[in-house]
Amino acid sequence: MSELLQYLITGLGGGCAFALVGSGLVVIHRVTRVVNFAQGSFAVIAAMTASTLLASGLPHGVSETLAVAVGAGAGLLVGLVAIGKPGTPPGASLIVTLGLGVFAYAVEVLIWGDQPRSFGGVPGAVDVLGARFQAHYLLIIGATLAVFAGMGVLFARTDVGRALTACSANPYAAKVVGIDVRRMGLLSFVIGGALGGLAGVLVTPIQLVTFDYDVTLIVGGFAAAILGGLMRPALTLIGGLLLGVAQALVAGYGNAAYQMEVALVLMLAVMIGQAARRPIVQEEVA
Amino acid sequence: MTRWIPAAAAAALTLALPPLLSSSHLTIYILLGLAAIVTIGLSLLMGYAGQVSLGQAAFYAIGGYTAGLLSVHSLPPVLGLLAAPVVSAAFAVVVGVPMLRLRGHHLAFATLATQLILLSLVGQADWAGGAIGLQGIPRLSVGGYEFAEDISYAYLVWAAVALTMLVARNVVASRPGRALRALATSETAAAASGVPVGRYRLTVFALSAAFAGLAGGIYAFYLGYIAPGSFPVLLSIEYVVMAVVGGLGTLWGALVGATAIVLLVQVLNTVGTQPGMPSYAPSVLSYAVYAVLLVLVVLFLPHGIVPALRVRMSRVRG
Repeated sequence: MSELLQYLITGLGGGCAFALVGSGLVVIHRVTRVVNFAQGSFAVIAAMTASTLLASGLPHGVSETLAVAVGAGAGLLVGLVAIGKPGTPPGASLIVTLGLGVFAYAVEVLIWGDQPRSFGGVPGAVDVLGARFQAHYLLIIGATLAVFAGMGVLFARTDVGRALTACSANPYAAKVVGIDVRRMGLLSFVIGGALGGLAGVLVTPIQLVTFDYDVTLIVGGFAAAILGGLMRPALTLIGGLLLGVAQALVAGYGNAAYQMEVALVLMLAVMIGQAARRPIVQEEVA
Repeated sequence: MTRWIPAAAAAALTLALPPLLSSSHLTIYILLGLAAIVTIGLSLLMGYAGQVSLGQAAFYAIGGYTAGLLSVHSLPPVLGLLAAPVVSAAFAVVVGVPMLRLRGHHLAFATLATQLILLSLVGQADWAGGAIGLQGIPRLSVGGYEFAEDISYAYLVWAAVALTMLVARNVVASRPGRALRALATSETAAAASGVPVGRYRLTVFALSAAFAGLAGGIYAFYLGYIAPGSFPVLLSIEYVVMAVVGGLGTLWGALVGATAIVLLVQVLNTVGTQPGMPSYAPSVLSYAVYAVLLVLVVLFLPHGIVPALRVRMSRVRG
């Protein structure tokens, strides 16, 4: 029983990272229709930045906050390149973000080298009903829930959030009522960058991060986000948590080597299931 | 007649080059040919079925492992080489039936997932050498002739490039090829005019996999060693870069794209390994080049190099 509880907690912690990366994908996709392949890089860049800042003597909290800001900045840069040129179709933007993800490799290796990095998180371990796990997991879960609650408020209760939602519902109508669709698109990239960066700084204390860790994050994040059709943050949270728990259970009771397959097969199954339910005649993307 | 001149010139050049190259340049020449074979298939797939495949290296790996495993178990190597494209295509059909319901970014992630699953499974399969890889693959021999020297592989690879080009050209020029071009423009319109959309998309997918499998088979014999690490996701992305830069849906574009990227990365590699350069310079430079070229071409030359040149040429003439 305590074993199961332990797997559940660690699974939820890992799933939070996927949920955060996935929600970044959702925010960007909702507003711009672009699937951002560079999303995992934001997490890696933020994680590396935080490790450098901590090593240079800045305290916890400050370092992580600055690192998330760097992630948001990276998001803005990716957004400027991907949707900055008017008339770029979403399909082309997808390939552009793929290219930018590779470009991030060059930057990361140049600045931080190709060795894995990690840093300490919340110290100590916690006992709950006989299950023992690092206290840092509680921070990950708490921070993620707070962020999702915050996003809910942002989208439902603020003017900016309503403008973002308007752009996602009907970009043309949004333009007509005076919303700057391009600026909202860039804003969504900034939010996506911050969410990715947050995932990076939260997950680094429990997971070594290398420059190509973004593939794992982007695949997990996409798998989480696909549950809500890349449009709904709440379902992304559920998808991420389910995925994390499933992976932890497979690793705990089965073989840790098959963790990655769990995410991938789950993602394929959901996508193919969704495609089967979709009508045959689809809108053409020119 | 005039349209055959570039093809004839290219053929003459490929035949004349190998004896003139040094051994390190010969290796690049062989790897370039292999990349070109895969890129031709990917360019067909992306240009006609209109889909990004981020898992093309998976088919390359399947070809390599098919050829390697068969010949390690003392079957005639030529059998392995023939089986490589067949097994890759068969695998593409099996995964393609459910997966090709997907479009756009869904399919991109699905192909990426296929490759990751395959690599992970191969890495844990002891019969395939696991993570260490498959070693001691014999050199290719056909009848009594053994492909012992690099130069024989150079001719083999470029013969395979010519074969690939020919097959692809005939497919494109045939009646199904016209249907494919209709498909590339508008799936709904093609379906309405009676094109069996699903079957054709699956066929192109299998054909592109067969090309990649053939290249993978030759690669296995040439190096004599393959491992899951030989086929990273980044390799799949490299093929996308080559296909996009050269021009999607044009066969010459695939060849030009592969050549341009391989040579450029090679030049940068030489620069990066100069004395005084840091050890990470070659990888940083090649990542940066893939990325910058891909982004610039997609944004400013959306149809790729070859179609852009064609437009310019016809303007000069007309």
